[in-house]
Order: sequence, then structure tokens, then C-alpha cells
Amino acid sequence: MSDATAEFFGSLTQRGHVPLLEKARGTVRFELAEGKRTDRWLLVVDRGDLSVSRRNVRGDCTIRTNKALFERIVDGEVNATAAVLRGAVTIDGDMELLVQLQKLFPGPPPKRRRRRNGAGGRGKA
Amino acid sequence: MSDGLVKILDGNTFVVSDSCGDIEASLTDPTGLFSFDTRFLSHWVLTVNGQRLNPLSTDDLQYFETRFFLVPGTGTVYVDSELSVIRRRAVGNGFREELQILNHDEKPLDLTVRIEAGSDFADLFEVKDALKKKGAYSARVTKGRLVLGYERETFKRATDISATAPARVDKKGLTFKTRIEPHGEWSTNLDVVTADLGTMEGHEQPKFARPRGRQNMEANLRRWLDEAPTLECDWDSLRRTYMRSLVDLAALRFSPAISGYRSLPAAGLPWFMTMFGRDSILTSLQALPFTSELAATTLQALGDWQGTRLDDFRDEDPGRILHEMRYGELAAFEERPQSPYYGSADATPLFVVLLDEYERWTGDRRLVRGLEYEARAALNWIDEYADLMGNGYIWYQRRNEKTGLENQCWKDSWDSISYHDGRLAGFPRATCELQGYAYDAKIRAARLAREVWKDPKFASELEKQAADLKRRFNRDFWIADGEYFALALDSDGEQVDVLSSNIGHLLWSGIVDKSKATAIARHLLGPRLFSGWGVRTLAEGEGRYNPIGYHVGTVWPFDNSFIAWGLRRYGFKEEAARIAAGILAAADFFDGRLPEAFGGYERDLTRYPVQYPTACSPQAWSTGAPLLLLRTMLGLEPVDDLLVVDPELPVGIGHVALLDIPGRWGRVDAFGRGRESSNEKAPLRQSHEPVAV
Repeated sequence: MSDATAEFFGSLTQRGHVPLLEKARGTVRFELAEGKRTDRWLLVVDRGDLSVSRRNVRGDCTIRTNKALFERIVDGEVNATAAVLRGAVTIDGDMELLVQLQKLFPGPPPKRRRRRNGAGGRGKA
Repeated sequence: MSDGLVKILDGNTFVVSDSCGDIEASLTDPTGLFSFDTRFLSHWVLTVNGQRLNPLSTDDLQYFETRFFLVPGTGTVYVDSELSVIRRRAVGNGFREELQILNHDEKPLDLTVRIEAGSDFADLFEVKDALKKKGAYSARVTKGRLVLGYERETFKRATDISATAPARVDKKGLTFKTRIEPHGEWSTNLDVVTADLGTMEGHEQPKFARPRGRQNMEANLRRWLDEAPTLECDWDSLRRTYMRSLVDLAALRFSPAISGYRSLPAAGLPWFMTMFGRDSILTSLQALPFTSELAATTLQALGDWQGTRLDDFRDEDPGRILHEMRYGELAAFEERPQSPYYGSADATPLFVVLLDEYERWTGDRRLVRGLEYEARAALNWIDEYADLMGNGYIWYQRRNEKTGLENQCWKDSWDSISYHDGRLAGFPRATCELQGYAYDAKIRAARLAREVWKDPKFASELEKQAADLKRRFNRDFWIADGEYFALALDSDGEQVDVLSSNIGHLLWSGIVDKSKATAIARHLLGPRLFSGWGVRTLAEGEGRYNPIGYHVGTVWPFDNSFIAWGLRRYGFKEEAARIAAGILAAADFFDGRLPEAFGGYERDLTRYPVQYPTACSPQAWSTGAPLLLLRTMLGLEPVDDLLVVDPELPVGIGHVALLDIPGRWGRVDAFGRGRESSNEKAPLRQSHEPVAV
């Protein structure tokens, strides 16, 4: 479990119930291409409860991309929605599940973010 | 149409052509076939025996369908042609054009019919801002079809063109050779199908969906109209405006590609055929007494896309409701932030306002329970993320300084927030209506917390916060010597002291102390703000006032509809009716289709409303304005399981009946009678005297 992908899926199983995903129900198959092989993951979402496996079965929705890009998405360096819009990530099946899943990905790492004035920062611009 | 262009649309696919049905777009003009923010055809020209055609007439059949009657030749004074050409075009997954040529002569006709096609695959933003493309074009002829393509890395878009009649296809178009017998005819269908997100994915070659059937769309429109309440009244123009509004609202319904294919109102043609937080919410509010479907979809779709993380490029925060979603190339490559962009300070509180208003009309508690998490996150955003100065108000300042929005309120042009002397206020800014929306969101959420979420403690806490906000607001924003609320506070906590239409939204929100409401109503109907048609965005006499300044002097129908609602809320029925009368009278000058904005000139001066030059039309919240004005004239208010009706019609209207108003009560009718039994159909007395309240 050294790569970011495995870490990401590992963290999902540990999150327990995710209120953000209470409207989502379905099975999502990830096919992450890495050279000639494909890394497969299966995520089952049941109204906020997540489980992850490597089972090789059909999903309600299949998300395909290359593994390098996926790792940048789970690191927050690449925005998943924009990647879908430019065809770098493709989806077959239930698009609604993707709308829900994109919430799981983090924002840009803090080093790339300017300090915000907000949240009680009281600073003037 | 006034600009000579013919527009048909279905959701966010639309075609804009000249009066012959031809398209010859330059980079900067919004003609062509557009879908999901990309232009799929920029060139589409019909010739017969090498000649361009001349329009006899155009017949707008439906919002998604039009018919062009043409004859060969151009520039002749009179037309005496042996043949005529009919192009009937309907939009839906691209468009289908039924081309028909009639021979009126005694002799057979040998014809070469040619359709030239091309696409620049411009992103709508590129059209708007005249930007250059970065990808590669292709044109292929395959199995009797012409496929135009565009690729930039993994980004692919394509247009597939085919005909039902035998054609010689080349990379620039289709040619038909035919002989038409005397008094005979020839015809073909031309199908233009777009392939984009959802149809390109996972496939080396694009999958082309079939054009959607015209019958389906007709049935869908008929059902939409059948389900809306029926209006009866003695004012013809109001009936026309009402019908126009219903049809335009149907046209502007749009299913975001990655949002489950449900429909919600897009903002406006041509620039804004997409999901906008603010516009979709306000239009849904306007339309609630007529249809609740738009509100339900808007709430769900905006809830699905609610912000979950901090992202400066998108101005995203946890709990924030999006401002704008785009599907084109610039959003895809993050050259623009709309994937989606969150830089709106009002959509988040308004989301909560809509949720409560929706429940009050429909009684749909399932949806309200389902969105409890999102509503709480929105309320949390108000306190935790919007309060940039830490003093209990909503402030805005963009974190994306390159392509983010400077003004994150509805008056979003650069010069909209100024002092009396014309200086612009610094950032962050706290405009007044945002505080009103926050107040209303808290009060309404408290009701939902108590009645639906069963959390009385949270309800009390919200009410306490709201009362505190109201007290502070009436102290900090009130300009005592002018007797109105400042447009905003600046970053030093000083009042941005102009008189603006925003004070009308404050009445709508309920944040105004009762003791101050009369002064506000007097200003709204007073000579500096009221033009005779409606309330100006900025009062005459302010430094930046300009009767054709986008947010600094024009009259916005949507703005006025909420102001009228606000006046009703504080009991100023007659004043609300005067605003309704002015805006609805203006609608008559635009055949019932209110533009986004029109000039703030005095009604007595111009006698007709002067349309703002580049305004979108139809535009969703202008389309919704007559609906909300009908609600305010009839005084419709859901109270528990009843619909209360308390009409106050403008002078000159004898009666208005709205039949079969849908809601938690089933369907009920509302009737209003005028105070004067007048025969005059046209409105209305004009008066610029101070209002007695």
C-alpha cells in the first residue's frame, strides 16, 4: 500500500459513513491504466456507506483514466470535473455517481493556495 | 426579431441564423449551432444552382422549431420565381432540417442544391471574448456522411452531417443533383448531430445520438402548458405576456450533462445557457406558484454540486453554492474556472430561502429532509467562510484574481458598487442585500429545523442569530439623514452611501425594521428611483448614475419583481401594484418577452422602454418576472395547508383570475377585482408623487 491510489481507497474504507454521499447508491468500477496493465478497483456506495474491493465485476458506472492522472486527482493537484470535461477521465454508465464521487477528492494542496482572509481571519485585503 | 436573427433552442442546444436560415459566423458573433458551450456549426449556407436564397417570410412555429420560406436570387425588388424553397428546422441533439423545393413551373427543373458546412468549434467564451483556438481541426467523409472534428489532447468534439436523399459528400458540404417535374417537389432531411461530453467518452469514434423527435418535444411543451395555471383577465397584453413567459420558461429548461438529466432553468440566450446558482434559484422562486418542478431540480442539482473543499481557482469553500457551470474547452483546460465556479456570495443563503419557500408551496418534506445536510452546510458557510472581516456580515472578495468575479452579488459589473461621489468601494465588500438574504435564510431555516428536521435547539439558535443580525444591520447600514440603507459597507466598515434598488430586496428579506419600511417604500416609488416603468438599479443624482449603465441606472424586470414582493411583505400593496403595472406595461412593448434590462429613462420622456443593447433574450429571471408580479398582484401566500389570496390590482385592470394554482392544497383558484371598474385596457395612471403609506 505505498502508492497514492491504494492509500486513497484505503482511506475510504476507514472513513465509515460519509454524509456527503448519502444521496449516492451504486457500484463504481475504476480502471486505471498503467502501461500495459490496468489497476482495477471497485467502490460500492450505499447511501453514504463505502466499501472497496478489487473484485472484477461490472459497475453501474465505470471510470477510466491513467493511473498517473488519477494519483494527481486524489492528491488534489488535478480537478476531477475539469478532467472529465476534457476527456482525460471518461465515464461509462451512471453520470450521477460521478457528480457524487467528485466530492471525495481533496482541493489543491495548501502550498498552492494563497492564504485566505476568511474564517475569522479578520485581516483586511 | 429585432436583430434580424432567428433563434431556436432546446435546453442548452441552440441555433442562431439569419432570416434565410443560413449561418456565416465570424469569431465574435454568436451565430451558429451551439451545444454545451461549444459551437458545432459556424458555417451553413444553402444555394440552389449556385445562387443564394432570398427570404419571403419566417415562421416561428415553436421555440425549438422554425420555418423559412425562400426564393432564389437576392437584391431584386420583386420576386417572380418558378421555384420556392422551404427549410423547416427543429433543434434537439443538434438539429434536423427538412428541406423542400417546389417547382411551380410547367417545365421540369434541373437543380444543383448545395449545402456548405463548417465549424470552428469555438468555446462560447471565445466567441464572447474573441480568443484563438489551440487544437486541430479535421473533416472526414465516411459512409455518405460528413464528420467535422476538433481535437486538443483528450478533448474531442465532432459534428456529423448526413442527408436522407442521395448526395455527393465532400469535406465542405453536400451536393444534390435532382430533376423536379412540373408542379412537383423534391425534399431531403439534413441531420446535424453533435458529439460531446457523454457521447464521446470511452469511444475512439464519437457515438451520435439520433435527433430528438419533434413530436416528443411538442407533447412535452403541451404538457408543460396544460399543467400551468390558467390566467383570465381583461388585460390582453397580460395574457400574452403570461403565455410568452410560460413558453420561454419551457425553452430555457435545461438538463446539465453531469447532473442526472433533470431540468432546471438556464440563465439566458445566448451567453448563459447553463446552470447558474443565483439565476436558477431566483427563477425557481418566481415560478413556484406556477410550477414547483424547477425549484425541486434546482435544489437537488445545486445541492449535488455544493462546495466541499477550499479551492482558490474556483473560489470554492465547503458549503458554498456554485455560481456557474460550463462545459466548453476553456473550462475543461482550466483557462476559466467554471468547472464549476463558486464566486457568488448570494446563491448560498438563497439556496436555503428557496428550500423553505419550496416546502411552503409543495409540502414536499421528503426533499427538505433529504437536503438537511446541504442546508446546514450552507448556513455554516454564511458564518464560517463568508464573514471575511469577522464582524457578522457576508463579505466577498475573490481569491482567483485573474479570472474570478470581482463582484459576487447580482450587480456583478465592475462599476456597480460606488459611493455617492462615484468612487468605487474597496474589497472586501458587504452589499446590503446579502445581509438580508442571510437573515431570511436563518429565519426560514429555523422554521424548517423546528418543523421538518425536528431540531428545536438549532431553530432557537438560528432565530437568535437572525435577531442579532437584524439589530446590527439596521444600525450599521442605515443612513439616517437620507432615510435609506447603504448599498454596502466597505473594508473600513464605512457606508457605501448611494441610493439603489437593493433596498427593495431588503424588504423582501424581512430584515428591515418596521419603523424604517415606510421611508424605504417612499424611496422605491420616488422620483430618483422610479422611472414610471420600474425601479432603477441606481438612483438619479448618484455620481455613476447612467440610464443605460448596466447596473447603474437601468431598470431590471427581475429586480422589480422581487421589490414588488418586498413591498407586499411590508403591506405596501398599492405600491407593489404600481411596480407590477409599470413592468407589465413595458412587457407589452417587447411582445410579452421582457429583456434582461431596459433604460432608466423617465417614462414620460421616451414613452417606450429602451432595451439595453447587449442584453440576453429570452432571459430566465426576466421571463419569471411577470409570474412573480402576478403572485404579488393577487397576494398569493401559502399559510399551512391553505393558499391565502389578498389581491390588489393595478388601477385600470378590472379582473384577474388565476385558475388551478398547484400546491399542497391540491389546486385552487384565485380571483382579483380592480378598485375601479374601468373599461380602459391599457395601464395605467402615472404618478411621481410621493407615496402615501
